[in-house]
Amino acid sequence: MSSKVTRRQFLNYSLMGVGSFMAAGMILPMGRFALDPLFKDAAAGSDIQTSIKVSEITEEPTKVDFTYNQKDAWYESEVTEFAWVYKDGDKLIALSPVCKHLGCTVTWAGDDGNPDKFFCPCHNGLYTKDGNNVPGTPPRGPLDQYEVGDKDGFVTIGKRFENELVK
Amino acid sequence: MLYTKNDLNVIKDEIEFIDTAIIPVVDIDMDNLSMNRAEHIEFIQLIIMMLEKQLKGRLLITPLFTVVGEDASQVEVFNNQLKEYGFKNTIVLSFRELSLEGIPVIKINHVPISDMDKDILESMVKDEMTIVLKEIIRIWNS
Repeated sequence: MSSKVTRRQFLNYSLMGVGSFMAAGMILPMGRFALDPLFKDAAAGSDIQTSIKVSEITEEPTKVDFTYNQKDAWYESEVTEFAWVYKDGDKLIALSPVCKHLGCTVTWAGDDGNPDKFFCPCHNGLYTKDGNNVPGTPPRGPLDQYEVGDKDGFVTIGKRFENELVK
Repeated sequence: MLYTKNDLNVIKDEIEFIDTAIIPVVDIDMDNLSMNRAEHIEFIQLIIMMLEKQLKGRLLITPLFTVVGEDASQVEVFNNQLKEYGFKNTIVLSFRELSLEGIPVIKINHVPISDMDKDILESMVKDEMTIVLKEIIRIWNS
């Protein structure tokens, strides 16, 4: 017997078909939105590639420039900042050059009397190599750190965070 | 520090550390040298930005002080106010020779920047900023 489809069945099937397409059309985007954070790989504040090779980094802090886009209100501009990067054994360490006193830029070995310290020219602030502020000088805390990585042999700079080398 | 609400709020409490005011003086006369002056203004702003990054914690860089004509005596009035507020040093940056009573003037060289490549411009600004920086540190140490 040929399986005949009755008018009632045909209508039921086609309504179900159309209905499920409509439901899928609504639910799929919602599901995609809900899962979206899982698919995103830390786009904001992701690591910035620099032009300095990891092999060039020594135990002596080196200036590593990195550039990113900054948006101030409706004006977008390219900003170049830098970090002091050095090797501690095999580990890369990146320190922010912004003085924790009032925000000047510190230099490595900028003071002739302290060749192994970071020096702030504004008020003669000093920091040890791990960023710890030397007591008796104006700075109020240790230098911030940057996340630092190695991508295809080049240094990458990531987010800034409070110094964890100093306990 | 710049002449913004946030920075001025910091300066209020830290005047013993932020002891130097920088007054960039520019001419804005409207004549056949205006284009040069416009270039000066652009250049000095780049220098200021770099200077601010280097010595943020000890400088107040005031807004550009615009002068029309030869007479720049209003700078002295401003200088007196800054001194009264508590700044130990005030330093004027200028492209032309200014003789101002009791204010050291750092003269900035004219650099034709308009057709410059970005990298060259950056190094020119850096060179000029270094000269200014050294002069400021010399004034601090004197």
